[in-house]
Amino acid sequence: MRALAGRRNVVALAGLALLVLPPLANPYILYVANIALIYVILAVGLNLLLGYAGQFAFANAALFGIGAYATGLLQVRLGLPFWISFPAAVVITTLIGLVVALPALRLSGLYLALVTLAFAQFTQWLMLNWERVTFGAGGFKVPPLTFGSLQPALGLYYLSLLLCGLLVAGAWNTVRSGIGRALVAVRDSEVAAEALAIDLARYKAIAFSLSALYAGVAGGLYSAILSFVAPEGFDLFQMVVQFSMVVVGGLGSVWGSVLGAGLLVGLQEALRAFKGGQEIAFGLVLMGCIVFLPDGIISLVKRRARGWEEPLRAPDRRT
Amino acid sequence: MSRLVVRDVAIAFGGVVALDAVDLELGAAEIRGVIGPNGAGKTTLLNVICGINPPDRGEITLDAVPLVGLKPSAIAAHGLGRTFQATQLFRGMTVLENVMTGLHGRLDEGVLGAVFRSRRLCAAEAQAAARGREMLAFVGMEQFESRLATELSFGQQRVIEIARALISEPRVLLLDEPAVGLSLNRIVEVDSLMRRIRDERGVSILLVEHVIRLVMDVCDRITVLSHGRQIAEGRPEAIRTDPAVIEAYLGKDLHAASPAP
Amino acid sequence: MLPYLVVSGLTTGSLYALVAMGLVVVYKATTVVNFAHGELFMIGGFLAYTFHVLLKLGYLVSLVLAVAAALALGLVTERLAYRPLMRAPAISVVLAAVGFSFVLKGAARQIWGGLGDYMPFPPVVATPAITMGGLILVPQQLVVLAGALVCMGLFTAFFTSTRTGKMMQATAENAKAARLVGIRVDRVYAFTWGMGAATAAAAAVLMAPLTFVYPDVGSPLLVKAFGAAVLGGFGSLLGAVLGGFSIGLIENLAGGYINTSFTDISAFLVIMLVLIVRPTGFFGPRAVRRI
Repeated sequence: MRALAGRRNVVALAGLALLVLPPLANPYILYVANIALIYVILAVGLNLLLGYAGQFAFANAALFGIGAYATGLLQVRLGLPFWISFPAAVVITTLIGLVVALPALRLSGLYLALVTLAFAQFTQWLMLNWERVTFGAGGFKVPPLTFGSLQPALGLYYLSLLLCGLLVAGAWNTVRSGIGRALVAVRDSEVAAEALAIDLARYKAIAFSLSALYAGVAGGLYSAILSFVAPEGFDLFQMVVQFSMVVVGGLGSVWGSVLGAGLLVGLQEALRAFKGGQEIAFGLVLMGCIVFLPDGIISLVKRRARGWEEPLRAPDRRT
Repeated sequence: MSRLVVRDVAIAFGGVVALDAVDLELGAAEIRGVIGPNGAGKTTLLNVICGINPPDRGEITLDAVPLVGLKPSAIAAHGLGRTFQATQLFRGMTVLENVMTGLHGRLDEGVLGAVFRSRRLCAAEAQAAARGREMLAFVGMEQFESRLATELSFGQQRVIEIARALISEPRVLLLDEPAVGLSLNRIVEVDSLMRRIRDERGVSILLVEHVIRLVMDVCDRITVLSHGRQIAEGRPEAIRTDPAVIEAYLGKDLHAASPAP
Repeated sequence: MLPYLVVSGLTTGSLYALVAMGLVVVYKATTVVNFAHGELFMIGGFLAYTFHVLLKLGYLVSLVLAVAAALALGLVTERLAYRPLMRAPAISVVLAAVGFSFVLKGAARQIWGGLGDYMPFPPVVATPAITMGGLILVPQQLVVLAGALVCMGLFTAFFTSTRTGKMMQATAENAKAARLVGIRVDRVYAFTWGMGAATAAAAAVLMAPLTFVYPDVGSPLLVKAFGAAVLGGFGSLLGAVLGGFSIGLIENLAGGYINTSFTDISAFLVIMLVLIVRPTGFFGPRAVRRI
């Protein structure tokens, strides 16, 4: 049983299931699955920054929003087609992520958290108030995507699946290389990392721009799936959701983030039934997961099944 | 030709002078000890050399390359390795991964190669792992390669840190109190390890240490600091009987009262 | 207009200052930022409303009761979101506290939400406005300001003069050493969280006559109090207080002179600038790298 539940098998199975899902599922399930793919991209990217590089930054939800807004605005304001707006938006988001990295070079811990928090608040404020550009609080509609003869929802699903697969594989590869070790070195001991010729600034910049790139891709896909962009989805609550996915899944574990994102999207849908008690339920689940599974759900998987080892562990417990 | 040249280096922290007019020259394949009572500035000297705290004044060159003003990571890339007083192993990595990280500056891996896991990257990773294992064997720790760094004992961790610093083949290795907290057996092992580093690998070592017996035994020359100033320099036998050194450690009155050893 | 803005700024600022103090106290002792702090404020406010308006108890009685209840709630937070996670990375503690904040928010919405979005809280002082040299002062504001200053004074005095306060200081500086001299460190931690919560509740009760308490008030308040604390260097209570007043003033001045939509964001812009210039805040230690 342990060998059967090994990573290769599970990933292959999941990949297959996702590939053949569309004809078997109703539009709602397809939509949820697509959202889950988007969040997997977000969570994996955030984990590179938070779990591997150890940078406690609050900017990811804002960068997610920038990806969505850029994709949408380039289409609506400048008339560019999606297939140009989307890559351009990803580039823009990555560059902004690099800019956010600048304070990270001088600040750490609480101060970094606050500066990135301020950046997030500022971005929200721009989305709400800079109406000339961003259409303000009401948001704006984005022209629906067409995929030739393929049904739009289907086309978008497969696009998300493709990008998700590529990005998760990319993260998995990065983590298993010298770059992964450099990021963890920066996290675990900056002074030792420098003594090994690891340029702190360079690797912090890499971590921030990678997570921004992932957030940008996720944002672009998100704007397409909703055909609509508004400030709500990119606030502090969204940041909490993203952090939760990473931590509940397992900090410093690529597969943990995949699991965490999938589970939490499922949880949010399941909680819709609770009506008033949604917040309480989510809060309790979050607390429970963190207190009882401090190393994330992936630690359970690692215990029960073989083949789930990953290089570079989660940030160590404080002693 | 001296490998590491420290000339007239001085640094003060908020008005407190930590180092003043320190001169030091480290030759090829030499072990130089730096000793002195607490607060003498020994660790500060190492911090200044490796770039953590740039000096207020003075020059430092490594194989004639000036180091002052460079970032610590750039200085390390020029061939300076270092261990720390409080061992700084990477807690999230295994022993082998820790040592492999030491190869960072020498790794033939590009970003694209990493992301797409190119053949070149796989070869580079395999080579890095092989060199890591070889280094672990050199320090006698090969059986621990898959253990998490934090699972090792204090003494073992210190040896791993030396291996990690050594794997990139630095020209000069700065060791900050490698023997602190070690049992006598372990100290003997560290002694012989340092000799092998010097003799088999040709690395020059700058050793800051409190365990005087070790310093006297393994060092070719010794520099003595007191209150940030250099008060003596020479071969171990000369340092042992130098009155200024004895006074610095024991104080004026005791010195006057006790005969020279 | 300027004097009016300044008074408003100082009043709001005293609120931020009190809340920030609570954050810093917990941080100094436990090196953790309590992300449920805003919700403790919120619950304090609702409790004050329940005691004073619904149950018709006196103002001061309500203040004491609300603060006591909040203190208990702070102890609960510590037990649930901190103690089991002492060895976990910081983000876990943050998220556990956030989870708890959601529970508190949801509960508040269920219990008090049905009363309508904003609940009126009668002013403590019913006297009409005083006019002083062209400046109109609302007595309620002055009462709040005075009350906040009194609280801050009491708090500081507690820390520096009482035995418990000194134990908390000792634990904050060196928990291991504190343990060695016989201080019950886990009790100190629990009590610290309780005290932090108590200050949040006190702030809520003081401000209740002037502002609205609603279930979602916690989050934006936390962010601002956090900003105030960081501005002040996140190590000193005085820094937090000065940071709080600064933010209150900046907000009101920006809102008055530039545009009301600038109120909320101005403080953050200033904080971003300050941290770029002085990465450890105004009163924080100068950043020197030492090994």
